[in-house]
Amino acid sequence: MMELPATRAGHVGRALSATAILLFLAMPIVIILVTSFGTDGIGTFPPEHYSTRWYEQMAAPGGNWATSIALSSLVASLTTVFSLVLGVTAATALARGRLPLHAAVYGLVLAPMLIPQVVIALGLFLFFEPAGMLGSPLAIALGHTVLAAPIAILIMISTLKGIDERLEDAAASMGAGRMTIARRITFPLATPGLIAAAVFSFITSFDEFFIAQFLSTPDTRTLPVLVFNALQFDVDPTVTAVSAVLIALAILALALVALVRKLGGHRNQQGGVLPVEPLT
Amino acid sequence: MPERTHTINTGRLSADELAAVLAPQSNAPTGKSLSVRGLRKSYSGTTVVDGVDMDIAAGEFVTFLGSSGSGKTTTLMMLAGFTEPDSGTIAVDGRDITELNPGKRDFGFVFQQYLLFPHMTVEENVAFPLTLRGVPKAEIRRRVGETLEAAGLSKFAGRKPRELSGGQQQRVALCRVLVYRPPIVLMDEPLGALDKKLRDQMQTEIKSIQRELGLTVIYVTHDQEEALVLSDRIAIMKDGRIEQFDTPRGLFEHPRTPFVADFLGAANFLTGKVEESTADGSTPVRLDTGGVLKARAHPCAPGQRVRAAVRPGKLRLVSAEESCCSGTVETAVYVGSLTRITVRLDGAAPGTAPLRIETAAAPPRIGERVCVTADREDVSVFDESDGG
Amino acid sequence: MAGTALAPGKVRVKTTSAMRGHRSRIALVNAVPVTVFLLVLFVYPIIGVLSLSLKGDNGAFTLHWYADALSGANLSVLVSTLRISAETAVLSLLVGFVLAHAIARMRPVFAALAMLIVVVPHFISALVRTYGWIIMLGEHGLINSLATSVHLPGAPYSLLYNETGVVIGTTSVMLPYTVLVLQGVMRGVDGRLLAAAAGFGASRFTIFTRIYLPLVAPGIGTAGLLSFILCLGYYITPALMGGDKQTVVAALIDQQVMKQDQWNSAAAFGVILLLLTFAGLGVLGLAKLRRKKTAARRSSS
Repeated sequence: MMELPATRAGHVGRALSATAILLFLAMPIVIILVTSFGTDGIGTFPPEHYSTRWYEQMAAPGGNWATSIALSSLVASLTTVFSLVLGVTAATALARGRLPLHAAVYGLVLAPMLIPQVVIALGLFLFFEPAGMLGSPLAIALGHTVLAAPIAILIMISTLKGIDERLEDAAASMGAGRMTIARRITFPLATPGLIAAAVFSFITSFDEFFIAQFLSTPDTRTLPVLVFNALQFDVDPTVTAVSAVLIALAILALALVALVRKLGGHRNQQGGVLPVEPLT
Repeated sequence: MPERTHTINTGRLSADELAAVLAPQSNAPTGKSLSVRGLRKSYSGTTVVDGVDMDIAAGEFVTFLGSSGSGKTTTLMMLAGFTEPDSGTIAVDGRDITELNPGKRDFGFVFQQYLLFPHMTVEENVAFPLTLRGVPKAEIRRRVGETLEAAGLSKFAGRKPRELSGGQQQRVALCRVLVYRPPIVLMDEPLGALDKKLRDQMQTEIKSIQRELGLTVIYVTHDQEEALVLSDRIAIMKDGRIEQFDTPRGLFEHPRTPFVADFLGAANFLTGKVEESTADGSTPVRLDTGGVLKARAHPCAPGQRVRAAVRPGKLRLVSAEESCCSGTVETAVYVGSLTRITVRLDGAAPGTAPLRIETAAAPPRIGERVCVTADREDVSVFDESDGG
Repeated sequence: MAGTALAPGKVRVKTTSAMRGHRSRIALVNAVPVTVFLLVLFVYPIIGVLSLSLKGDNGAFTLHWYADALSGANLSVLVSTLRISAETAVLSLLVGFVLAHAIARMRPVFAALAMLIVVVPHFISALVRTYGWIIMLGEHGLINSLATSVHLPGAPYSLLYNETGVVIGTTSVMLPYTVLVLQGVMRGVDGRLLAAAAGFGASRFTIFTRIYLPLVAPGIGTAGLLSFILCLGYYITPALMGGDKQTVVAALIDQQVMKQDQWNSAAAFGVILLLLTFAGLGVLGLAKLRRKKTAARRSSS
């Protein structure tokens, strides 16, 4: 392939600037992981002494942190179920069917990714407040589903589009009925996508702050709400350990998705995770 | 053909043995007959299939041959049930199946792209149609094992399709269909993605399995040679219609339209006017270039303008005494077993193609004056208005 | 032969489909859950925000809340939100461009690793990342201790609780988007074009400005606008990394709802954010439409 040969200076310059930027991106995360094991919490970096005391404090039963972790897990699980249901049905409609008003439905699905979250949160607050549902895990989960479902839908659309429909034809030609095809062909082939959709829905909910903040009461605060308060008001060094756990969770989730896709073997585009592709 | 089978299948059972494994106990043909009436399909105003009628006997190997856009694949898809015809009927052994879903037709379908299930092993792929039919597990294992064994695929049983070569994948796809013994097998250019050598080999295998099992096979291809090698009868398709449905020999020797004459092997076309028919029952045509060419009997009135078609191999160079057309040799190229000659007829309009002749006899020199003729049985006559 | 069972030429027109039949009906049924869900929990609440913003204390129609939002201290919050968004867009474009350009020329292994470092933080809670920045940019944080130890003039710098801090934070949040978009267009640039330009004797600078930049311009526009839009309603980073002066609209809304019970005013701000977002999306859509039209003209001529 013919290309403009790189000059040595250009090469070095690019490598240096890229390394600097990447370091800059990675540093905050590395710093948290290291600091969380420091004895003196938010102090100098790197810490002088290491311990696991903040992790012990975080996991202390009955404490604020443990309670909110439990609440966040519940909310995220509900959100995952909701957005999987919406993801599978909507993706079937958008990727497979000849849907009238296809563009309108697709636009509606993308909208929550682009509309300012504060507006969505305010709207949901006005929606749930008169119903007396503030602080209800169900209300928070429904609110989170507004953000998580579009992600799940985009993942499922790219998954379904990656499955050759003629495989289903082939199965049908051998006498397989619609249910058998769904169970034995489509579902197994869509499993990696389903797992990715579930993982990203869970993470989206588990990390979401704004909607949870608007829909929470002092008794029911999700983990991000508690983290935010800890950062803004009382400087509780436990928050470093919590942050480290959130980082580990995200990395584990991404690793799981990558592993499942690799095991699935058939190539699936990585797309559908950021709302970038439909826009460009 | 059998000799070829033998030399190719080194290291595994021959196709005949595969057929023997798959065949039911009796020797009666397992194929069923198929009859199609008035099949039509159009997509948004464009007619793709325009009235296909045909009767296919049980155990017959029929090929739809045509270029892309001729409607051959759409016709096959309608037979399979993947495409719904606008009108027309399809019947198997006299039973109307036009409305049935693909799976209810009990056909086998072999796709060009193999379409093996990527998440299943080779074994599971082949077992799939049997599990749908509620065959007991032990029997599934036995039949799948035998089929894979016969196809020389036993050592790949546990592999995923993507770990196999194209030829192996297509063999698995074939096994997956044959294992449930459908009476009618439809094949959509199943060998299109394979290289020439592998294609020849698979053609032989498919043909012997079909003959052995007495299967009815309906095959789609754009490859003439493939169609000729495989088929009992070929339907040549053009613009959504069957141009001619006949045995390979019938198509070759008695083309009914100029299109067929030109499509299967090359043909020289000569325009002229029909003369008073003679006592020998032939149709003499006075060519525009001069000279008379006797064609086989054709119902047309004297004075009618016609086109005569002759294959290059059927034209002969003769001494000038006979009734013949004189011309000058333009080129003569020796291509091994025969010589390809082009002759420009006297009186041919400038810019028209010269006659193409293939002969095994001693070739003439370039520039030599020659006289060209053909046996009347080798000359077909078409109305000039016919396309092609 | 079997054909006798059928009347030849019998024509029957079917209206139902055999195999993929009812596809649009199946699609419709499957589109129902998401449509209903989003209409009830997304569209309807936003309409609620809109109507609240137009209601006075007595319930009558008023534009009072908008007048209020667009004057005085409130206006300056709006202006600083726009300014921070613009600064973030420009900075993330610059940084994103350098990074994407470098990644496009890396060996595949390094490129994959670099993309991993860019994309993985996107899936880590923004709160956590912001916290990391706070630790890093503080007076005794990593950056300042490094700067002081090498005796950079003016060190330690104040990088936190001011606009610099906010923009650094938001830029890192937007970077995955810009890098992905820019990388998409850069991959589409045919390297042979650049080599051809060099063959005509063009300098590297000329090649960059006259050939490369115009080719990736659509991506630059999209990436810039996208980070601007996403920044408008952003809250976490400004709230945690900004000082008192760096109040953004989202923070104001939060304050008005949580502390002052000023729902109408909050709603008016929400609608303003919404309109700004729509305007940005409109520009994006128009640009996309124009590109499509040019492409269509090109392919038709």
